[in-house]
Amino acid sequence: MVKKIKLSKITWIILIIVSLSLVLLPIYVMFKYSISDRSSWITGGKYPVPWFPFNPTLDMYRYYLADTRFWANAFLSINVALLTVALSIILGAPAAYSLSRSKFNGKAIILFFILSIRLIPDISSAVPIATIFNNGLWDYLPVVLKLSLAHTLLGLPYVIYIAQGVFESIPKDLEEQAHVMGCGKFYTFLNIVIPLAIPGLAAGAIYVFLLSWNEFTLSYFITATSSVPMLPLPVYLKSMFGAFTPNPVGIATISLLVSLPVIVFTFALQKYMISGSTAGSVK
Amino acid sequence: MLKNLKKNSFLIWSLAPACIFIIGFFVIIAFFLLKLSLTTYVGGMPQETGVISNYITLINSSAFKDAFWRTLIFVLTSTPLQLITGLITAMLINKSFHGRGVVRSVLLLPLAIPTIVTTSILVLMFSKGGHIGSLLTGQYSFFPQVMAKEISFMNNEAFAIGLAIFGKVWRDTPISMLILLAGLQQIPQDQYEAAETMGSKLVQSFTYITLPLMIPSIASVLVLRSVEAWKEFIFPYILAPSFPVLGVLIENFYVQQLNPGMSAAIGIMLIFLILICTWVLKVVLEAASKFLVKV
Repeated sequence: MVKKIKLSKITWIILIIVSLSLVLLPIYVMFKYSISDRSSWITGGKYPVPWFPFNPTLDMYRYYLADTRFWANAFLSINVALLTVALSIILGAPAAYSLSRSKFNGKAIILFFILSIRLIPDISSAVPIATIFNNGLWDYLPVVLKLSLAHTLLGLPYVIYIAQGVFESIPKDLEEQAHVMGCGKFYTFLNIVIPLAIPGLAAGAIYVFLLSWNEFTLSYFITATSSVPMLPLPVYLKSMFGAFTPNPVGIATISLLVSLPVIVFTFALQKYMISGSTAGSVK
Repeated sequence: MLKNLKKNSFLIWSLAPACIFIIGFFVIIAFFLLKLSLTTYVGGMPQETGVISNYITLINSSAFKDAFWRTLIFVLTSTPLQLITGLITAMLINKSFHGRGVVRSVLLLPLAIPTIVTTSILVLMFSKGGHIGSLLTGQYSFFPQVMAKEISFMNNEAFAIGLAIFGKVWRDTPISMLILLAGLQQIPQDQYEAAETMGSKLVQSFTYITLPLMIPSIASVLVLRSVEAWKEFIFPYILAPSFPVLGVLIENFYVQQLNPGMSAAIGIMLIFLILICTWVLKVVLEAASKFLVKV
């Protein structure tokens, strides 16, 4: 009996170590490449790529952080993400509030319609979205708006879903008191409910920001068939693979710069992110 | 009627924008997807509308058949793999130990890294002259030589698809881990204690207590992950560009061959494949739960 417990404990420790190293190794390799010097990645086949660079250097970071093209792309990504957050919250918060407060017939139907947009695979909806955005009158829209409209389509159902839960947690009594004192519904919503809901809505906003920041499929389809001067960062990163001589250090540096804000945000808000990503999965 | 409208004006004004946005886009997407799929393109220009020749060409083309089989293999491999890795990691961190929070945070890291970055790391590691190639040809002293010559992973069909599956599983394990962990934590501990007093071993506890009680969460992992696997685009697109799955084939037709008609037709077929697969999975899962849960 004693032996068996020990055996299971040992397997447990081994499995923990294996899974941790499987997760950390690729991330370490990305970090290692980003600080590599020239002789650590152009080996000429004489010696294998070292596990730690011979002369660690931050040259590539200096290069990209001073590169105007990188910053133009980064600003496009940030603008798209911020516009997506604004659109999703402005459209989503009032709708979620109404859905959480009123008990009218057809509430379930509306909720179903709102969530049903996610039933179409991204890769299928990318084709019609890119086609209409790059033809006819829609073509005159600025790229920022095209991209954020497409991303809002992905983010809005999440915001409505998360915000509905947030509003349900706010006691109804407050609004009733405001009504008694003569506030209209709109005034109550703006001045009493929204300030109370801000922490919860902020979690939803960050979720949507990261969703837009990471989004590749729709951004790629929209920008691939039109000539745009700037690309969102994920598409820019992809375009670096296609270069004539891909530079691993540059790819690793951009990769790290793209993922850094995501990692920071995710860990600062892990509690909310987990409830957001698994909401509705086990019910 | 008008009075009713005025009474509910806040309700209407708050719901209308979001509903118009979503339903409007839903209708536009569905309409254009259907219209494009019924339009033939020659040299990037629309030729004929209202014909189903796109579908006929697709069903007869070997590229589509190959892509379909690759996608099926992708789904059938990556979904169970994600279930297994998710179950293992969930069971690993289900007990309380020192530093559990840190371990959980590290295991969640893949979720925090943008997908395109994950693919870029895999490209760096598996490309010629990268770490894995050097490792397998025995250039590092601590690892034995497995292959005599370095092979190019991304130009070999089996390796390329395998690499895409590896990336997908690596990135999405945390999601299944979280779902399964929630299921594991709902199992009452006294059931295990009761089983132990009756002399059950670890394996028996797993098959007779954990597995039957986990069926709802296992089912949701299988359904959610298989749907995701069908519509996967980024991993096969970057890691196996020469061996397209259905998602990559859509991109090929749309961007490279300027033929939105074909890609829309594949998109619609993909939706139906997902529906069929989910239905089959539902039937299988119901049968399995009848078999496993003996009352």
